[in-house]
Amino acid sequence: MAPEISNLSMFFLIFFVLIPVSLSYLYSLGLSGPILWSSFRGIVQLFLIGYILTYLFSLEPLTGITIMLTVMILVAAFHASKKGTGIPYVRPITLCIIVIIEIFVLAMWLGFQMISFQPDQVIPMSGMVIGNSMVAIGLALERMKSEFKEGESKITAALALGAKPEQASKILVRKIVKSSMIPNVDGLKTIGLVQLPGMMTGLILGGVAPIEAIRFQIVISLSIFASVSLSAMFVTIIFYRFFFNENQQMIKIEEN
Amino acid sequence: MGAPIPVLEASNVQSDFLRNINFNVSEGEIITLIGPSGAGKSSLLKLLNRLADPETGQIFFYNKNIKEYKIEQLRKRIGMVFQSSSLFEGTVEDNLKFGPSLFNEWEHEEGKKLLEIVKLPTDFLSKDVRELSGGEQQRVAFARTLANRPEVLLLDEVTSALDVKNVEVIEQFIKGIVSKEVKAVLMVTHDIKQAKRLGDRTFFMYNREIVEQGDTRRLLTDPQSGRLQAFLKE
Ligand SMILES: Nc1ncnc2c1ncn2[C@@H]1O[C@H](COP(=O)(O)OP(=O)(O)OP(=O)(O)O)[C@@H](O)[C@H]1O
Ligand SMILES: [Mg+2]
Repeated sequence: MAPEISNLSMFFLIFFVLIPVSLSYLYSLGLSGPILWSSFRGIVQLFLIGYILTYLFSLEPLTGITIMLTVMILVAAFHASKKGTGIPYVRPITLCIIVIIEIFVLAMWLGFQMISFQPDQVIPMSGMVIGNSMVAIGLALERMKSEFKEGESKITAALALGAKPEQASKILVRKIVKSSMIPNVDGLKTIGLVQLPGMMTGLILGGVAPIEAIRFQIVISLSIFASVSLSAMFVTIIFYRFFFNENQQMIKIEEN
Repeated sequence: MGAPIPVLEASNVQSDFLRNINFNVSEGEIITLIGPSGAGKSSLLKLLNRLADPETGQIFFYNKNIKEYKIEQLRKRIGMVFQSSSLFEGTVEDNLKFGPSLFNEWEHEEGKKLLEIVKLPTDFLSKDVRELSGGEQQRVAFARTLANRPEVLLLDEVTSALDVKNVEVIEQFIKGIVSKEVKAVLMVTHDIKQAKRLGDRTFFMYNREIVEQGDTRRLLTDPQSGRLQAFLKE
C-alpha cells in the first residue's frame, strides 16, 4: 500500500523551499527569483503530468503510448539540440538519434518480456531512457563544439599529416564520448550505496519487495547506460563531418 | 649544375588574407618568410598544403596544380610543423606513428631513427608527451612530420618559443635535411638573424602581399622598398 500525502503536508513543503531562498537573499546570490520560479514551474509541470498520465493510462495502450512517446521525444530532441546551435541539421539528427535509441530499448524490453506493452510501464521506463539520452546528447554536442575549438591546432596538425576528417576527429572523439558518459558511470558505481535509485525507491514505496524492485532497477540502469553511450557515440560519429568542408579543411561553427 | 627543378610555384594567388602572390621555389632551397604580425605569412603556408584554398590563382607542386593531387597525398608530401607543437595525447610513439599509420607504413624501428634525427634519446618513444619540456615537444612535433617522409617542409615559427640550445638543434637539422630527404623548406620566422643563417632566399610580406623577394643577403643588406627598410630598422 502506497503512502498517501495530504494536501496540508504538501503545503508545508513550501517552507523547505524558503530555506534556499533566504540563503540566496542573505548571501545576495541573486537566485531567489530563479529558485521560486523553478519550484513553482516544477510543481505545476508535475501536477499537469499527473493528470495527463492518468488520462493516457485510460486510453488504448497503443494510442496512449504513441502520444506520450512522441511528446517526450520531441521535447527531448528540441532541448538537447539547443546545446548544438550552429551545427547544421542538429535538430532533425538529434531527433533521429533519440528515436533510434527508443526503438532499440523498447524492442529489447518487449522482446525479452521484461515489461509489457502497457502505458504505465512503457511510459515511465521510456521517460528515463529518453531523459538520460537527452542529457548525454546535449553534453556531447556542447563538448564537441568546445573540443573542436580548443583542439583546433591538434586537428589541423592531424589534417596536415594527411588524416581524413574522420581520422583527425578520432583524437577528440574518445574524450567527448567519455565526458558525456561520466555522470552515468559515476552514478552506476555508487548505485544503491549512496542513493537508492528513483525507480527502485518508487517501487518500494509502492509496496514492491526490494528484491523484485532491484530487478527492475537493473533493467533500467543498464538500459540507460547503453542508451547514453550510444547517444554520445552517435553524436560524434554523425556530427564530426560538419566541422569540415569538402576539401578536408576545418570550418568554424559560429555560436549564436 | 643543371637547371633548377621547380618544386612549388604560385601564380597570381588571392584569398581573403592574401593579395597578388607570385613566387617559385626550387629543389635545394630554404626560403625564409619574414614580415610583421598579420602580414599573411601563416596564411600563405596554409595554402601550400591546402589547409586553405585561394579564391583565384594557381599553385603548382612539381608542375601540377595542387588541386589535382589527392589531398591526403599532397599533405603527406608537403609536411608542416606549427609554432605550438600541438602533440596528440599519448606517448611519443603514438605521435610519431600517427602519419605513417594513416598510410599503413609504420614500423617500430622507424621511431628510434626519427628520435635520433631530432637528437632525442630513443627511450623517449614510450614517454607520455605531457612529461616533455617545450623544446622536446617541438622536436617530437618535427619528428612526427618527418615520419611521413615529406618532400617539402613548411615551418611556421617553429623555434620562436624555444631557448638557444633547442633553436640550434633545429636549425642544424633543417640545414642538414634540405636536399637530402627534403627537397625544399619554407619557413616563417620572426628572427631576422635566423633568416640570415638559414635562408637562401627571403620573402618579405607586408599587408597581405609579398612586397620584396630575393637572395637573403642582398634583401637584408640592401632593401629596396621603404617598407622593408622600416621593418629591418625595428
Ligand atoms: N581563419 C582566420 N579567420 C579570420 N582572420 C584570419 C584567419 N586567418 C588569418 N586571418 C587574418 O589574416 C591576416 C593574416 O594572418 P596570418 O596569420 O597569415 O599572419 P602572420 O603573418 O602569420 O602573422 P603572425 O606573425 O602574427 O603569425 C591577419 O589579419 C589575420 O587576422
Ligand atoms: Mg603566423
